[in-house]
Amino acid sequence: MKTKTYLALLISISLLVSLAILFIPGLAESIETWMLGFLSRNAAA
Amino acid sequence: MARKFLTVIVQLLIALVTIPAVALATMSFENRNNDGPSIIFPGGELVSGELYLGPEPDWSFTDDVGTVHLQLDDPLSSRLIWIEESDGKIYITSDYMGTWLGRRWKKWAVQAYEGDGLAVVRINGVRYERKLERVFYSPLLDGVIEKKIAKYRSRITREAIESGETWVFELAPRTGV
Repeated sequence: MKTKTYLALLISISLLVSLAILFIPGLAESIETWMLGFLSRNAAA
Repeated sequence: MARKFLTVIVQLLIALVTIPAVALATMSFENRNNDGPSIIFPGGELVSGELYLGPEPDWSFTDDVGTVHLQLDDPLSSRLIWIEESDGKIYITSDYMGTWLGRRWKKWAVQAYEGDGLAVVRINGVRYERKLERVFYSPLLDGVIEKKIAKYRSRITREAIESGETWVFELAPRTGV
């Protein structure tokens, strides 16, 4: 993939992720819950 | 061929770092004005919950409380924090203050110490107006240390407090404010 195309894709995905977190209710909480679960599982291992 | 493969790997690595970083930054941004912190991200002003106006409570009930919400008045931001009761007073501590990175991470402690220290603490849904007063040397510190070790299995020591590695604040009443 050419650098220009790659950067455009990366920026688009990042923007999409940001907008999804900001505008989909409960998504941020779900991600945080998943993160905490992931961290506690790995910390306990 | 090898160069092309390497480019794809580098691009994937950059994406794997950038996209989660953007997600975390967005979540932090989204939480900044909430009524209290989330488990990971700081929040804004503590709004909900009854504001306690009575005489100084018996703080021993905080022995059964794991974390509390602490909000500074300046700046208006809140975070989740451990609490220790000792000798009828309540305390909070901030570790890793001996390093630049620690002071950046625990910026609230620096702001409380350098500012007026006015704060609100929300415990079990009740808000208490307090003033953060840093404790450097006091015989009462032994009780705080013992309580923190018993309650949270902390490695806190008097040496860490006296060297500035750990900062201890009493959540004192706001008398005369």
